[in-house]
Amino acid sequence: MKQWFINQSVDHPKRSIIITILITLLMGSGLQHFVVEDDFMKMLPQDIPSMVTLNELKDEFGSTDLMFLGFGKRGVDVLNAKSLGTLWDIAHELEEINQVDEIMCISTSDKMESIDGFLEVSALQEYRDLDEEEIEALRGYLNENSKIKTRNLGENGDYFNVIIRPVVGAKNDVLVSDMEQILATHQADYDVHWGGQAYLTGALPVMIRNDVLGLMRAGLIGMLLILLFSLRNVTAVGTILATIILSMVFMMGFNGWMLYLTESDKFMFGVLNTSMPIILLTIANSYGVHVITKFFRKMRTNKDPRAAVEASLNSLILPIFLTALTTVAAFLCMVFAPLEPLIGYGFSISAGILWAWILSTVFLPSILVLKKWNPEASAVSHPSHFERFVIAFGEQVIKRPKTVLITGAVVVVIGIAGIFKLNIEVNMKAFFKPDNPIRESLEFMDSEMTGTMDLQLLINADLRSPEVLTQIESIQEFMEKHESVTLSISIADIIKQMHRMVNDDNPAFESIPDSRDKVNNLFTMYSMSGDPDDFSSLVDYDYKKGLATSMMRSISTSEIVLLVDEIEAFLQQDEYKDLNITITGLLIVFRDLVALIIRSSFISIFASIIIIALIAAYFFKHWLWGLLAVVPLSSAVILNFGLMGIFGVDLNHVTALLSAIIIGVGVDFAIHYISQFRNHLHTHGLDGKLSRETMRDVGFPVILDAASNMAFGALLFSVFIPMIHMGGLMVFAMVSTSTATLTLLAILLELNKKRLARIEGIAVPDEKF
Amino acid sequence: MKMTTKTLTIGLLITLPLGIFAQTGYEIAKAMDEKKSPADMKSEMTMTLTNKQGKTRESIIRSISADDSRKQIIWFLSPADDKGVAFLKIEHADKDDEMRLWLPAFKKVRRISSKKKADSFMGSDMSYEDMTSRELDEYTYEILGEKKVDGIDCHILESTPKEGVTRTYKRFVTYVSKSDLIPVLDEAYDTRDQLLKRREMKYSKQKGYDLPTEIFVENVQKDHNTRLIFSSLEVDTGVEADLFQEKNLKRIPK
Repeated sequence: MKQWFINQSVDHPKRSIIITILITLLMGSGLQHFVVEDDFMKMLPQDIPSMVTLNELKDEFGSTDLMFLGFGKRGVDVLNAKSLGTLWDIAHELEEINQVDEIMCISTSDKMESIDGFLEVSALQEYRDLDEEEIEALRGYLNENSKIKTRNLGENGDYFNVIIRPVVGAKNDVLVSDMEQILATHQADYDVHWGGQAYLTGALPVMIRNDVLGLMRAGLIGMLLILLFSLRNVTAVGTILATIILSMVFMMGFNGWMLYLTESDKFMFGVLNTSMPIILLTIANSYGVHVITKFFRKMRTNKDPRAAVEASLNSLILPIFLTALTTVAAFLCMVFAPLEPLIGYGFSISAGILWAWILSTVFLPSILVLKKWNPEASAVSHPSHFERFVIAFGEQVIKRPKTVLITGAVVVVIGIAGIFKLNIEVNMKAFFKPDNPIRESLEFMDSEMTGTMDLQLLINADLRSPEVLTQIESIQEFMEKHESVTLSISIADIIKQMHRMVNDDNPAFESIPDSRDKVNNLFTMYSMSGDPDDFSSLVDYDYKKGLATSMMRSISTSEIVLLVDEIEAFLQQDEYKDLNITITGLLIVFRDLVALIIRSSFISIFASIIIIALIAAYFFKHWLWGLLAVVPLSSAVILNFGLMGIFGVDLNHVTALLSAIIIGVGVDFAIHYISQFRNHLHTHGLDGKLSRETMRDVGFPVILDAASNMAFGALLFSVFIPMIHMGGLMVFAMVSTSTATLTLLAILLELNKKRLARIEGIAVPDEKF
Repeated sequence: MKMTTKTLTIGLLITLPLGIFAQTGYEIAKAMDEKKSPADMKSEMTMTLTNKQGKTRESIIRSISADDSRKQIIWFLSPADDKGVAFLKIEHADKDDEMRLWLPAFKKVRRISSKKKADSFMGSDMSYEDMTSRELDEYTYEILGEKKVDGIDCHILESTPKEGVTRTYKRFVTYVSKSDLIPVLDEAYDTRDQLLKRREMKYSKQKGYDLPTEIFVENVQKDHNTRLIFSSLEVDTGVEADLFQEKNLKRIPK
């Protein structure tokens, strides 16, 4: 089998190139079915309890994923004819969007008044153009009804607050785009601020993808420059680039075909898939770099490209195959991920990796065979400065085994300690740098409006009962005492307002009536005068389920956990137990989701490590090799998460997924090192140069691979903090996995070389006597 | 505000001497408008509201109306939670309608008002505007064709508000029985010309009038519907004008 592969490029290079390109194009034709899905909500698992509750809630009360719009001009009283006219236009234009269920603002709200003995439910703003007298009447009404004022106006009265309730199942990305188009026509006269988790889920995917794709291009250019500097040969770099591009086309095409054939949303390309091209790029680059560097080393002694290719493949086909196999195994562990897109992610990237393996062992060597190489060219004949530096570094490592081992062990222990300091954070505001316009908007909405988060309490109780309504009132009072809660709304508020109105607008009666009959009468009265739909977001049809919504300023995930704990403790009191309250909302779903992703990431890390160890043990024919193969990546994973804890890099779904990259790349380095170590062991035995030769052989490609992939540190320039972290962690992952391979693993192999030699059935000098 | 309401009990239902041969849309509408209606009407109605989840609310109300339903008094008989609540409505041609509500738990009569004609009446799928008959001259009419509805040969009559007439609906498409000139199916389109409501009506004959026995209204956009079933219908019983007073709200008549 190995020889068959070698023959394809050595004996039939042109045929091999044509066939691999044709297969790539055939698979690449699947790109016509490739679908980009920016609806973040579609990616959420529908079966986690908090999502099930949220969906039930939506069936009953409509969507609770609110979006917030603040618009006005700082310092200018917004209650003026022009601004109210604009608000009217905007509200009505927004209402026309199919994805919008309801717009809540001054222009669309009702007011309840008691005028000359009349109970009147009418529009808060009856028509577009109000005169001065009407504006003053509106101002008066808002001043008398503080909750309505808080809900509709900014703290200083210079901004309108508009709450957008999307229809259930709305595509938030499309909705956000439609809304922004409408607001764009008014932006010249007013400042516009957006907020809300639903808004961010709609706006973020496109922004992240555009940002990452731009930076990825920069990273790719950086990577090529590093390769060019180190390899000093355009053809060599060109072939690596071709391998990368063809693997990418294959993977994307595979994704398209799978979507077409399975019609499964798992294969839609969403924001979670953004890292897919970067990861494949690093892996394909790794394969290419190993083949090219080995080829150059062989050319230095051999001078014949065909023989050099044959010798290179002879020593690399197994390790590259093993690295592909182990990486694919690691990614296929994603099929157990809680998010459906990650399942498609696992399959598609696995296809890309396997194709990158074929390309680097057939297509790339075929080009090397066809190219007329000048054996005297410096790229071929002399190692670069970089290569010489790596060799020198390797020799220093081999000379100080104990120091390296102890240092490595200390670093890993520090890493383990750091893991306990890890902070989970999923607040999307934390995704943006402080000076980012979106973050500024969110901060504005937090400081001056009702905030950008919302939390719902689903109450299962008889909502016509005065006792229940009184309990809800006290729960709301408890909620409103929390620093982050700006406003709490429930059916109890409406009942209190109606009670006041039916008693001639006497503020003393702004309370829950004392009898069930009175509550019933109030509901009936409202149905005679107002739209019963006004209650549909607060109470269900049977008055058996109610919703208390708290508008909140943005808080961190840990604060959310604390708040939920506080609410739960409060609700544990005997008087509230019968209310059967569930805390819900998109915020809770995100909290649970992140916990789920992180848990599943850790499970998949352990599963991957075990599978990789088993694969390595099987192919290297002893469990000890398997164990040693996972030492660098295990150390790197521990160090990665440990340093995140120490340096305060938040653990979220993006950074947790990074573990896949560490494993994918980290295992490659170890397998290459072990493979060459075994080769040398079999070729030269325990001749004292074992580790030195292995280091000479593998050290440079490992470092070059790591260094070139570090170009994706370009992500450090992203506007999104998780992407910055991802960029930083990628750089770190490359450093940690390559260093762990060339230090920890190298020393462990050196210290255990006699035992390993015995395992391989090679005579150990000491045993001769 | 002039509201020539045939209202809840009569709604769109106007009788007309049979045999009139209407050719144009306007003529059909005019003939419908001129149909004779009872001087007064007593009935009990079972109103069932059903939401999109299939949950229902049922109320039984007793209604007495007079003067083409310009005057109407309603008492809630059930559910128990609403029993005793009563509603009085008197329409005026030259001023706002009077609407009063007796709230037995508060022992108070409250005057209520709804300035928005699109607002729902009693939580049903009918708005105050739906309860009002269409002013003949405020619309243009066109016959769109003919069709059988539940075995009844019908004209398909389209009514569109004339320019300057503000309505919640862009147009109506009414299926009018050719033989009785009564609407059996009515479709209301919103301002975006999307079907909003669909009303089906069934009748029985009494004293020469086509009286409603059942009205089913569905808000197709909200997936919510209202079914009204009429029973104990009595017409022209000589209801006295002083019945329609606030003091009579407090006691349910036997």
